[in-house]
Amino acid sequence: MARLELHGITKRFGDQVAVQDFDLTVGDGELVSFLGPSGCGKTTTLRITAGFEFPDSGSIVVNGRDITALPANQRGMGMVFQGYALFPNMSAADNIEYGLKVRKQPTQKRRQRVAEMLELFGLSHVAKSYPSQLSGGQQQRTAFARAVAVEPSVLLLDEPLSAVDAKVREELRTEIRRMQLRLGITAILVTHDQAEALSISDRVVVMSQGRIEEVGTPSQIYAEPRSEFTASFIGAMNEFRVRIASRSGGLVERDGVQFEATGAADLPDGSDGLLLVRPESLEPVEAGAAPVGPVIRGRVEVQTFLGSQTRLLVREGSDLDTSVHGSRLVAVDVPSAAAGRWPPGAEIAIAIPIRAARVIAVRASDLRSTAAVVTGPQGR
Amino acid sequence: MTAPTPGVAIEAGHEATQAIGAQNGRQAPRSRPGRSLLPALIIVGAFLYYVLPLIATASFALSDGRHFTLAPLTDALGDPAFHDSITLSAGIAVLTTIVSILIVAPTSYLIVLRFRRIRTLMDFVTILPFVIPPIILTLGLRQVYGADSPLGVDLVDSPLLLVAGYFVLSLPFTYRAVDNAMRAIDVVLLTEASESLGAGGLRTFRSVILPGTLLGIISAALLCFTTVMGEFTLASLLGYATFPVFLNNVYASAPREATSLVIVSFMITWAGVLALAVVGRRAGGGTTALRRAA
Repeated sequence: MARLELHGITKRFGDQVAVQDFDLTVGDGELVSFLGPSGCGKTTTLRITAGFEFPDSGSIVVNGRDITALPANQRGMGMVFQGYALFPNMSAADNIEYGLKVRKQPTQKRRQRVAEMLELFGLSHVAKSYPSQLSGGQQQRTAFARAVAVEPSVLLLDEPLSAVDAKVREELRTEIRRMQLRLGITAILVTHDQAEALSISDRVVVMSQGRIEEVGTPSQIYAEPRSEFTASFIGAMNEFRVRIASRSGGLVERDGVQFEATGAADLPDGSDGLLLVRPESLEPVEAGAAPVGPVIRGRVEVQTFLGSQTRLLVREGSDLDTSVHGSRLVAVDVPSAAAGRWPPGAEIAIAIPIRAARVIAVRASDLRSTAAVVTGPQGR
Repeated sequence: MTAPTPGVAIEAGHEATQAIGAQNGRQAPRSRPGRSLLPALIIVGAFLYYVLPLIATASFALSDGRHFTLAPLTDALGDPAFHDSITLSAGIAVLTTIVSILIVAPTSYLIVLRFRRIRTLMDFVTILPFVIPPIILTLGLRQVYGADSPLGVDLVDSPLLLVAGYFVLSLPFTYRAVDNAMRAIDVVLLTEASESLGAGGLRTFRSVILPGTLLGIISAALLCFTTVMGEFTLASLLGYATFPVFLNNVYASAPREATSLVIVSFMITWAGVLALAVVGRRAGGGTTALRRAA
């Protein structure tokens, strides 16, 4: 149990900047996820925290104590590795006992702690089994038990579920969260799986190209992303290019239509903005209804069944509009029960509800030729 | 149009069936013995190739020219020079094996863990003894450790010089065997796991890496031991009466005795192989046996 502070961590490998100016404070008992695509520096940051890599600059502080120069074996942290890294020559119980032996705890105390861990993680019946005899889930739990048996100050989880099948994964991630809360342990979870990060973290650190893009609670990250990267990396997101029409009035303009959008007040008049709307926030316009705000018209191209919802990919524009740049794909989620009303090829009108639309600044590097881009994986 | 078609079909079908039958008939009897005969021939051939010289050697050694006798063997075994040479050889072999393992295992571990960049260089260096003739090695050893040693140590009269030479000579075998074992387990990951649990380098090596690579280390030890036991050139050139040198000397005066000792040396080697294999199975088998049981 501890408070972990990372101050201005920077790490280069040759010419490559792996991590740059990484600042983060993880509170006592908090679970923070590092989320980002591969190569974004999340694993390097974790390894620096663990002591397997040393930063070029910056410091690591645990409970007020600077541990930047300490080697991994003196940091008192626990780690669950991507491939578990269980010792193949030791049984599950011996694996769990290893850290206690290293700490020279008396035999009686060790046995008690091992039994406690086996019990807690439901491993008592496989205590004497070797890693090769355990199922993926059992191996994962053994690795977890081994890491927490020594009561580490901070628990580091390096993509702990990437080696488990999809079905077991969801179950195990809930279990990780349950155990972390129960033990009250400070933890960092590195993952490229947004569902994993959003579902079990107190806070999520979204990373890209060695930098922190954004830090926030899962609902903030999902509902109110502050950067285009976050918006496009987390979930499916419709992005529309708009112009800030009136900063004071909070108005943006698209295709000659002006409407209110959250966040417009933060951007200068006349500047370009990106209007972000989740597919589930868009609504098909019922015939005869007169929606407030902008309406997108087009034809349904594809239907994707997602369970209770069905996602329609709509190509915006009329049939006369042959320009490639003018054609825009918009994703909209409708209840699956109603999806039959919009088969592929059907015409559809979609309203952008005023409150669901947020606008953020466009970075020069983010300018794209297409006006609307559907990004991110199909499902969430 | 309709009438002939079925007939043709039937005929064609019949022919096809016959063809298949014929093919089967031809293939089945030919292929089966053909397939099982060749391996059998190879095995028998190999067996004769290995065993015939042994039988010839034994029949030459254990005979007085006409009748079977154990006299050459008992004579040879009773020779005090035999005892001296076999003791010297075994002593040097054991010492070389211990030194080799103590140097090679940690070196190989550290190269995989920390000095990956020099791995290729090590691969190259460790096979050099294959390329460099022992005579060069001998001259080199004499130069460096002899009377005119630039290091100021004269080791020519000490068997330690042989240990140093044999360490180099057996390096291709020992390093390769241990290095292969290191590659077989994820050394870096296991080391990090051990360190994350608070263990230092020595503890990690002893508790995690060594058990994980034990079979490789045992085979390295075995290869080193047998290489040293049978090495002639270096010992002869440096003037040591090791077992192979003794055998060579005896052969000139008493070929039957020498030959009977060859049989003995074969048996010693086999016993060594067997002993190490048993130890290896017991050491590495704890987990393997359990895994099999499940």
